Amino acid sequence: MNALLLAADVNVAQNIGFYIIAAIMLYAAFSVVSTKNVVHAALWLVVVLGGVAAQYILAAAEFVAVSQVMVYIGAVMVLFLFGIMLTRASIGADTDVNNKDWKLGIPVGLVFFGVLVYTVVDAFEGTVIVEPSAAQIASSTTLISDGYLGDYLIPLIALSFVLLAAAVGAIVLARKD
Amino acid sequence: MNLMVASLLAVDPLLDTDKWWWKVLAIVAAKVLAIFVIGLIGTMLMVWFERKIVSGMQNRIGPNKAGPFGILQTLADGMKLFFKEDLLPDKADKWVFRVAPFLAFVPAFLLWSVIPLGGDFTDGKDGTVTWFGETTRVQLIDPPVGILIVLALSSIGVYGIMLAGWASGSKYPLLGSVRATAQMISYEAALGLSLGAVLLMSGTLSTSGIVGGQDGIGNWNIVATGFIPFVIFMIAMTAELSRPPFDLVEAEQELVGGFNTEYSSIRFGLFFLAEFMNVITMSAIIVTLFLGGPQPLTLGGVDMLGFAGPFGGTLWVILKTLAFLYTYVWFRATLPRLRYDQLMDFGWKLLIPAALGWFLVLAALQMTRDKYDGLGPVLLAAALGVAVLFVAYLLFNAALVVSKRNREREGVAY
Amino acid sequence: MGQYLPLVVLMILATAFGGLSFAASRLLAPRRPSAAKQAPYECGIVPSRQPPDRFPVSFYIVAMLFIMFDIEIIFIYPYAVERATVGEFGFWAVVVFSVIFFLTFVYEVARGGLEWGPLHGYRSLEQDAAMVSAARDSSSTIRRVGLEGRVDRVTAGGANTEEAA
Repeated sequence: MNALLLAADVNVAQNIGFYIIAAIMLYAAFSVVSTKNVVHAALWLVVVLGGVAAQYILAAAEFVAVSQVMVYIGAVMVLFLFGIMLTRASIGADTDVNNKDWKLGIPVGLVFFGVLVYTVVDAFEGTVIVEPSAAQIASSTTLISDGYLGDYLIPLIALSFVLLAAAVGAIVLARKD
Repeated sequence: MNLMVASLLAVDPLLDTDKWWWKVLAIVAAKVLAIFVIGLIGTMLMVWFERKIVSGMQNRIGPNKAGPFGILQTLADGMKLFFKEDLLPDKADKWVFRVAPFLAFVPAFLLWSVIPLGGDFTDGKDGTVTWFGETTRVQLIDPPVGILIVLALSSIGVYGIMLAGWASGSKYPLLGSVRATAQMISYEAALGLSLGAVLLMSGTLSTSGIVGGQDGIGNWNIVATGFIPFVIFMIAMTAELSRPPFDLVEAEQELVGGFNTEYSSIRFGLFFLAEFMNVITMSAIIVTLFLGGPQPLTLGGVDMLGFAGPFGGTLWVILKTLAFLYTYVWFRATLPRLRYDQLMDFGWKLLIPAALGWFLVLAALQMTRDKYDGLGPVLLAAALGVAVLFVAYLLFNAALVVSKRNREREGVAY
Repeated sequence: MGQYLPLVVLMILATAFGGLSFAASRLLAPRRPSAAKQAPYECGIVPSRQPPDRFPVSFYIVAMLFIMFDIEIIFIYPYAVERATVGEFGFWAVVVFSVIFFLTFVYEVARGGLEWGPLHGYRSLEQDAAMVSAARDSSSTIRRVGLEGRVDRVTAGGANTEEAA
C-alpha cells in the first residue's frame, strides 16, 4: 500500500481528496435514510450528488462533473423538491412516512453492502488512478463528443426515445382525470 | 510533501510550479482577495447606480445624503440592516432557513472567478500578463469547461430561492418561491440553447478561448451568430436574474416579499446582495460571450483606448459591462411587469424553439461553409434552413391551436 | 484538478463573509420576539381561512420538461464545440436527436401541458345587456371570479357565480 502511494505517477493529494469526499458522501447518504424530514432527506441527497461531481473533477472528467451539477442537482433534484414541497411541505418530523419495521432492513442492507464490496474489490483490485496529463484534461470534451456521435450513436437516439416516453408518461399521469 | 504541494499547485496552467511556490500562492491569494473586494464594492456601487438612474428617469433626485452624491447610501443601508432584529418565525425550519441565504450568495461570488477581467487578446495573443515574473491570466481560474461552470453555479443559485420560500413555514412565501424557481428554470433552458450558438462559433468552452476568438468587431459573437442568440440570451438572463420586467416573484404589489417575506435584517441583506452581484456578473458574462470581453473596439486599426496601455483590456470590460448595467436599469425604469402566464408562455413557446431552430440553422451554415466554397451553397443552405424552420413553426402553431381548443372545450385539465 | 483550488478558496471566503455577517447581526441586533412577530406574515391580516390546498401540477410538468431540455443542452454542447471534427455525420446525428426532442415538445404543447393562464371564455352579450338594463340587481351586475380550486365554488356567497362561457 505504501509502495502504491509513493509511486511516481500517483497523485497523493488526489487520493486524500478522494477519501475526504467519500467520507462526506457516506455521511450524507446515511443521513438521507435516517433523517425524519423528507425535505431534509432530499437536501442530503443533493450533498451526495455534489460529492459525485467533486469526484468526477478529481478524476479529470470535468465536463461530466459540470453536467452532473447542471442536470442532476439543477434539474432532477429540483423536480424532487417540487414534488415534495407541493404535496407535503410540512415542517418538522413526518411521523407517517417512517416504516415501523425498519430494523428488518438492517440485515438486508448489510448483505447488499457485503456483495457490493466484494464485487468492486474483486474487479478493481490493484488498479491505480494515475494523474491525467494536461492534454487529457483539455480534451475531455473531444473524447465525449467522439464517443456519443460515433460509437454510441444508437444509444443516443434510443435515449431521445426514452425521454419521449417519459414526457408522454408525465403528461398522461398529470391529467386531472 | 513536495509532491503534494506540486500537485496542489496546478492552479493555473501558466504558472511555473517548479520553484518559488509561495510566490504562486501569494498571487492566487491576491487574486482571490481582489475579486472579493471588487465584488462587494461593485455591488454597493451598482445599487447606488440603479437608484440614481431610476430616480433620474423618474425626474427626482434619489439618494444624495450619505456621502458625495449619495454613493455611500448602500453602505448605510447595509449597516442599518445589521442593527435590525433578526426574526426566526416559529413555523420555520431552523437549519434550512439559515442555510438558504448561503446557497444564494456563495454562487454569486463564485461567478466572478471565470470572467476574463483584462488582458490583451488582440492578434492572436493569448491574454496572459506577467506579474512579478510569473505569467498568469487576469481571471481567477481558467478551466477547459469555464462557461459551463457559470451555468452550474446559476443552477445552484436556484436552490437558495426555493429553500428560502419553503423554510419560511408559511404558504405565501412557498408559492412565491415555487413560482420564482419555475421561472428561473424555464429561462435557464433558453439560456443554454442560445449559448450553444456561441459555442458553435468559438469552438471551445473556456472563457479565455471564447474571448480570444473575437478579434475585431466582425468576429464579435453578437455579429457572428446573427443577432438572435444575443437577444435570446439577454432576455433569458433578465428573467433568470428576476429583473424587471420579469420580477413578478418579488414585486411588492403582488406577493408582499415573495420568497423573502419572513427574512429580516442581514439575511434579507444577503439575498439582496446576491441578486445585485448576479446582475453585475451576468452582465460581464454577456460581455465575455457576445461582445469580446477585453477585446478592444478599433477604429481604423487603432485601439480607441490605447492610451491605457496594459489596463486597456480591463477598461474595455468595465465600459461594456456598464453599458449592460445601464440597460438593465433602463428596463426597470420603463417596462411594465409581465404577468406570470405571459412570462412562462414567452419562455417556453417562443424563446426555446427559436433558440433551438437558430442553433440548427447556424450549424448547417457552418457545415456548408466548411464543405463548399463560395456564397451560392451557403445561400442555398440558408434558404433550406429557413424553409425547415417555417414548417416547424407551422407544426408548433398547430399544436398551440389544438391545445387552446381542448382547453376551451374540456376546461383546465391539470 | 488543482486549478479549482482558487475556486474553493473563494467559496470559503464567501462563506466566512456570510458567517461573519450573521455573527455581527447577533451581536448588534436586539432580540425581542413576540407572538405577532413570530407568526407567519399575511399582509397584517390574521388568517381566517386556509387558502386552497391544491397546488397546480403545472409546476411539476415545467420541471420535468426542463430536465428534458437540460439533457438535450448537455448533448448539444460537445457537438457545438467539436463541430469541425465530427463534420457532417455528427450534424445529421444531432439533427435527428433534436427533431425527436422537438416533436416531443410539440406533443407536450398540444396536450396542454404548458397552458398557464386562466380560461379566457367569451363574455355573453345577454349578460352584458343584463348589466345595464333597468331590471338589473346585484346578482346580474356582480360576477365572482377566481373560483377554480375552491371547494365551495357553487354556493359561494350567494352572488352570481355563473362564469360566462
